[in-house]
Amino acid sequence: MLNQLKTKIILQIVSYGKMKNRKAQLKIKQMTFMLIAVTLFFALVGMFVLVIKFSDIREAATELEERNAMLLVSKLANSPEFSCGGAFDTPRLNCIDADKVMILRQHIEKYNDFWGVSNIEIRKIYPAANSEILCTLENYPNCNIIRLRSKEIIGADLSNFISLCRKEPYEGDYYNKCELARIMVSYEEK
Amino acid sequence: MLEKKGYLELPFAWLFAIVAGAFILFLAIFFATKLINLEQTSIDAQTGKEIGILLNPLETSFEAGKTTSFIMPVDTRIYNKCNNKGIFGRQIIQISQKSFNKWTETDLEVGFSNKYIFSENYTEGKKFYLFSKPFEFPFKISDLIYMTSSNKIYCFKDPPLNIEEELASLNQGNIRINNCSGESIKICFSGGSECEVDVNYEYKWVIRNSEKVYFEKDALMYAAIFSDKKTYECQLKRLMQRVNQLALLYQDKADFVSKAGCESNLKQDLLMLSNSASDFEDSSNLGVLAINVESIKDKNNFADCELW
Repeated sequence: MLNQLKTKIILQIVSYGKMKNRKAQLKIKQMTFMLIAVTLFFALVGMFVLVIKFSDIREAATELEERNAMLLVSKLANSPEFSCGGAFDTPRLNCIDADKVMILRQHIEKYNDFWGVSNIEIRKIYPAANSEILCTLENYPNCNIIRLRSKEIIGADLSNFISLCRKEPYEGDYYNKCELARIMVSYEEK
Repeated sequence: MLEKKGYLELPFAWLFAIVAGAFILFLAIFFATKLINLEQTSIDAQTGKEIGILLNPLETSFEAGKTTSFIMPVDTRIYNKCNNKGIFGRQIIQISQKSFNKWTETDLEVGFSNKYIFSENYTEGKKFYLFSKPFEFPFKISDLIYMTSSNKIYCFKDPPLNIEEELASLNQGNIRINNCSGESIKICFSGGSECEVDVNYEYKWVIRNSEKVYFEKDALMYAAIFSDKKTYECQLKRLMQRVNQLALLYQDKADFVSKAGCESNLKQDLLMLSNSASDFEDSSNLGVLAINVESIKDKNNFADCELW
């Protein structure tokens, strides 16, 4: 009788111990899930902040590209690779030497990333032409678009008015011919 | 005894929470610090690029020179680096700004192929002056940009009349002529003691920090005055890289326009100039090159068809 009672008490203690252990295990599981949830939450918040930061940086980079193109387009005609200098009698402001640009076009692979823009194009606007003809060494000067890089102008572009001058043959001699044109600078949006 | 032991014991849940909490806090602080550094690096890179873009309006047409200035919101160091790699070499700008009384450290560099900045290894301050002057050799090569800080006053002692007039017309805040104060950097044209920079305008050399460099044309003289030897020689070599390419461009142009009946007879001279420019080593070669340049300049001026 006493033995039976002892065994019963022992069994009760063991089952209470097991129950307590199970409760503790449950608590640890709860805590683990909670910690994982908190960590995930912070990781998500962190990622969100990073995405915003990187989009800000990308926006700032595009803005800088635009500003570069804007300031460059107004001064590019004075760059030695483009400018007329004194080759057309009197020095002219915002004057581009078309003959020099045609040669530059042949060597453009050397000027990759030189001006920090994706493409440069010069379009004759006066006298107006009926169709758009891209200039090559074969059809020059009977054309109206000089594209420095063969690829199309993509992304945003900015332009400025210039005079486009060249040496034109005339009855065994030559004369300086200048036309109104527009220089366009394109930049890639990041 | 048992009670005392229990008093010291922490429940496992608490211990676990403290360790995990400390770990999360550590991670949060670690990433916050990284983010702040990233932000600072991004600001430094943006500032460098912005300074480079600001230099675009300094491109001159027929003007003798242009001056401008910009102010930074905090104390800034602008590192001027240069390399000769590739066809044109590269102008590199690195920015370090004062944050919490410490200079930020960044290895992020912003590079430009079409800019030539002459300054010391680094220029420090809040207000910076930029002055540009075209360099022709014999055709226009580029605009040279001289960058100085308002913290440093440059005093020109006994400069030739043309230099004096040019400097006076610039009206740049940190340039004085003859009226030198004690702390200013003295640039002497006729020798004398207490001169940081010695210029010999006749024999075309400049001595700065006991180092001698040679120049041709006023644009290079200013370059030698405002920059250290390493920067000057590196940028000069970059300029010669551009001379080489422009000479080849004009050589092809001579061929191209001859079809329109426009003869210049400069092809051979331009080829020689291009070769000499590609063999250029340092400023001591300038004198020999300059003789060739002057002859080409005269030939172009008197040619039937001017190439530039």
